[in-house]
Amino acid sequence: MNDRVVFEDVSKFYGEILGVNRVNLSIPPGITSLVGPNGSGKTTLMNLMTGLVRPTRGQIRVLDYRTNDPENLFRIVGYSTQFDAFPRGLTGYQFIYSYLRLGGRDSQDAERLAWQAIERVNLADAASRNVAGYSKGMRQRIRLAQALSHNPKVLVLDEPLNGLDPLARSEMIAVFRAAAAEGCHVIISSHILHEVDVISDRVILLSNGYVIAEGQIHSVRSEIHEHPAQILVRCTRPRELAAKMMECPSTIEISIHNDDRGLLIKTRDADRFYLMLNQIALNGVDIESVAPADDDVNSVYEYLIGNDEVVR
Amino acid sequence: MNKLPATSLWRAQIQSVVRLEMKKTFFAKRGLWIYVLALLPILLFIAHAIATAHQHNQSVLLGRQNEKPLSYQDLLAVKTGMSSQDVIALLGKPPGRFHWTEQRIVEQGAPVQVPHESYHYSDGTNDLYLGFADGKVDHVWIREGYNPGRDAIMFAGVFQFFFLRLVVFFGCLGIFMNLFRGEILDRSLHFYFLAPLRREVLMVGKFLAGCLATCVIFVTSELLQIVAFTWHFSLSARDLYLYQNHGMAHAATYLGVTALACLGYGAFFLVAGMLFRNPILPAAAILIWEAVNPFLPSLLKHFSVIYYLKSLCPVNVPTPPGTPPLFAMLVSNPDPVSAPDAVLGVVAVALLALYASSLQVRRMEINYTTE
Repeated sequence: MNDRVVFEDVSKFYGEILGVNRVNLSIPPGITSLVGPNGSGKTTLMNLMTGLVRPTRGQIRVLDYRTNDPENLFRIVGYSTQFDAFPRGLTGYQFIYSYLRLGGRDSQDAERLAWQAIERVNLADAASRNVAGYSKGMRQRIRLAQALSHNPKVLVLDEPLNGLDPLARSEMIAVFRAAAAEGCHVIISSHILHEVDVISDRVILLSNGYVIAEGQIHSVRSEIHEHPAQILVRCTRPRELAAKMMECPSTIEISIHNDDRGLLIKTRDADRFYLMLNQIALNGVDIESVAPADDDVNSVYEYLIGNDEVVR
Repeated sequence: MNKLPATSLWRAQIQSVVRLEMKKTFFAKRGLWIYVLALLPILLFIAHAIATAHQHNQSVLLGRQNEKPLSYQDLLAVKTGMSSQDVIALLGKPPGRFHWTEQRIVEQGAPVQVPHESYHYSDGTNDLYLGFADGKVDHVWIREGYNPGRDAIMFAGVFQFFFLRLVVFFGCLGIFMNLFRGEILDRSLHFYFLAPLRREVLMVGKFLAGCLATCVIFVTSELLQIVAFTWHFSLSARDLYLYQNHGMAHAATYLGVTALACLGYGAFFLVAGMLFRNPILPAAAILIWEAVNPFLPSLLKHFSVIYYLKSLCPVNVPTPPGTPPLFAMLVSNPDPVSAPDAVLGVVAVALLALYASSLQVRRMEINYTTE
């Protein structure tokens, strides 16, 4: 059985408005983040992979299931949408319980799973209250509980951390990580880059309906040749190191840190830079640490898309 | 989770959908007008019962004041042109009597004074109103007391032209069109679409919930109408009507026709609710389609709910001479079908509409921003 979520040349148009265009993806298990500004196509991509909208062109398979087969698809998929509306008159518990009963589960099974999911999102105290009276964060959590309730293999989460307080955020991130560790696909959309950086194994960068990059952050960064790599080196003799590094032809710019104990080096060839740095270290320059300064989602995003509408 | 056979799974899922929908349908604030609509014909029959009972009491009181006991035949014996003495000789002195004088203008000369009188008799059930001009009867009007046969025709008229065509029609519109459209407007339809549930199973569950809700509301309304309708009958008249004049059979038929109307119109409005954003357009189209049914070619008549329901109605509404031809066409049913064919016809029309719904529900997308 295929263990991937596959998009094959998928396009979606809403009338004449482009949702996404010519998307080809193969998403493995783990945490994958969809990153892009508002209107870039993140939600469309999620709605497409859950069958809430149909592609204008192309095919989508979720672990071999077609997206127009909800009866089987949603046995393995849980989707926490951004739609902040619920069936009228239901309590938090009834919301999850009814969802599970709709799947054909018997009363006992549904009750057990509903409480499990509610406890996972720390909402047991409010479970008997009407969802209409929940705060934004509670509504977000109950939607997450619904998506998690049947222990799906694919979790699709549209801006799942919106409205959550810092404690709840870290709890949810732990839940996502645990699911990913169990071999789950956790597909998250977010425009908060530092969160994406913390939780993602892979990113898919979207802009104006197009996938402009995908893969592990480091791999994506290394493919961006037009922007020199920035490397932060902490050492005791930065001026000496700067003089040596300037001999390397790929070095573009070096700036010495304010505290005089570090350098920020811009280079066109990171591999060559690291080789040279090793030689310098062997020749007696004391180097405390070396770290890429722009090998993160923030930088990748800024290089590829720009920084509009993105929260860092 | 234990794997259930498909049919058992679908049955369980349909039950879950019905449970959720019933709660929403029965207790939705936006559905309050449907209860008011269902109440209207009951109020109509209660008002009729009160008026008839009041009239009956008046007739009984008047009948007691007669000089001699009168029968219905005595009342019928009075003809225009009889003198007041003839009338008094026949019926005795009237218990109710009014008189006034008319100043009649003539072309030449002074105005002529014409004395007028009005006599009011009753046999205890039926009332006779006589108008005299210049000492001669010039106007006779008999107001009949309650008459189960005549009332049954009135009931049939109200059932066919008010209850079926307006109350049940618009009630079904309100409930069935909202099954999907209401959730799209509330932006909550995705709740169902995210469940491991075939869209067709969801559609069937929603349809059954709608049928249950409309049947409970409108069959109850019809039952209460029958109770209100027979309420003012005397005990003996009620027994006679219900047990010897097919009253019970008619009542059962009316209830059955109401349930079939919910099924037929429900299926129509379910598919309309998926296809149209504005309920007014399909409602007007279906209302016109149902209204022009008598004028349609024979083949097209079959794609209508009212065509079959009219054939099932137990009492025909007569068209007395002078009825406008258009109204007579609406009332008459020149091409009725047998009861089994009519039931099958409604079911077939409903199945056709449900098939269209099943195709549509598979194509539905969640795109609230365009709604």
